[in-house]
Amino acid sequence: MSGEIDHVAAHAPARTLGEQLRRHLARVVRAVDLLHSLTEADLRYRYGRSPWRFLRWSMEPFALVGVYLILVTLILDRPGTAPGLSLAAAVVPFQLVIATVGNAMEAVDVRRPILLNMAFRRNLIPISSALTECASFIASFSIVAVMMAAYGITPTLAVVWLPLVVLVNVHLAIAAAYAASLLGLWLRELKPFLLSFVRMLFFLGPALVPLSQTSPKIENLLRLNPLTGLFEAYRDVLLNGQAPAAWQLLYPFAISSVILGVFVPLYRTEQRQFAKVV
Amino acid sequence: MISAEGVGIQFHFDRYRRVVTPNAARFRSGTSTTWGLSDVSFSSRGGEGIALIGRSGSGKTTMLRTLASVYVPDEGRLRVRGPVASLLAIDAGLLSMLTGRENALLLGVLAGLSRRAARRALDSVKERSLLGDAFEYPVLAYSQGMRARLGFAVAEELEPRILLLDEVHEALDYEFRTVVQERARALVEAGGVVVAAGHDHPLLEQMCSRAIYLEDGKIVGDGPFRDVQRAYLEDVRTGNPHE
Repeated sequence: MSGEIDHVAAHAPARTLGEQLRRHLARVVRAVDLLHSLTEADLRYRYGRSPWRFLRWSMEPFALVGVYLILVTLILDRPGTAPGLSLAAAVVPFQLVIATVGNAMEAVDVRRPILLNMAFRRNLIPISSALTECASFIASFSIVAVMMAAYGITPTLAVVWLPLVVLVNVHLAIAAAYAASLLGLWLRELKPFLLSFVRMLFFLGPALVPLSQTSPKIENLLRLNPLTGLFEAYRDVLLNGQAPAAWQLLYPFAISSVILGVFVPLYRTEQRQFAKVV
Repeated sequence: MISAEGVGIQFHFDRYRRVVTPNAARFRSGTSTTWGLSDVSFSSRGGEGIALIGRSGSGKTTMLRTLASVYVPDEGRLRVRGPVASLLAIDAGLLSMLTGRENALLLGVLAGLSRRAARRALDSVKERSLLGDAFEYPVLAYSQGMRARLGFAVAEELEPRILLLDEVHEALDYEFRTVVQERARALVEAGGVVVAAGHDHPLLEQMCSRAIYLEDGKIVGDGPFRDVQRAYLEDVRTGNPHE
């Protein structure tokens, strides 16, 4: 069974290389415009337009780090070095991933009115979910600054690695978004479980205590979690003042690339059916 | 301008009769399928209005969504040449939490305008939609007619060659309905195509000289509006589905 749709707005085939390049550039500009608009609308849809949203984005990581700080320092009595900053180094990147997954699982359903009314590049929806959550991700860096000030830790030259660490973090979030968009449609009843599974990855990694403080028996097992490398990379850059080890960035990047390699082609096939299932 | 050859749209259901994608159906038991459109062939070179008529569930909306590329044909071939504007859902494709202005910007960009062009068009959309101050309010507070006005005003800004309307125009008040009819007529006179579905036949007849009668996802009549309408009404009167 195969069908075909040939929708041509008004273009003749490109004849010269220059024309091809111009058209390619136009496609990129168009994709940026679409992403901008989808993300802007999603931000307003999910977080409203009141200035309180900035407070919410800033306070959420403080609340989470506060709870874990009590757990680690008072209940478990394993404070380690600058526990607040160490926890923030795990909470901030994890919040981007889990918020993106939560957003992406609903992203197609939320856009039902548009999906049923017009055709557009639906392949961009998961990226837009990740970009929406990047707003709170950026705001949540305020906790990192506050914790560094509180523990008297000054940034070192290692901070130049931060943009690369953030890029790997966003790459992982986008990969998770593609998977979550499809799983949210295929397994609607299991959405809460999928979210719990992602939350489980936080605790099955060196989130509450650094990898060096975990049992040597399970250290290698924990490294299999792609979040482990990310948490440790943030700690190295922000807390330990050293460049992250190669595996800390390469392993999460490789895992997210594999997820993208599997789910993007599936998403491309499935998006043809979105309007039928929303 | 529009050419459909043996177009079919298939729906897959799980055991609870919820629509699922073909891939999802592959991993479930107790699934079933049905064709929303089957072996649909017709063409239009432009300069005409085409009404889709038939009972509820006969495939009119599915046909319009396919023409808008919202559904991709599962079989057959569909060619649509020229910019398309569509008003296919009762909520006119608007997100309820966004204001009229925000929706107009989003829909404009999704439909093909650059952000700059969509921004430039906002005042014109506001004027065309006759929404006044409500343009700045969340769409949540809009009536169906106001939503349809906004959707139509955005659609017009795209300068379409093909305009697809699905019943939403029936939610419009008398004043704006006249505007829609005039615009549709102008588009047809300029060589474009209007495809409209609905149950308000007098309204459809004012926009469309041709009608396609659909039954169970198949075309059972195609011709001048009056002739096709007569065949449809005869079937409705006798209670006999078209053989």
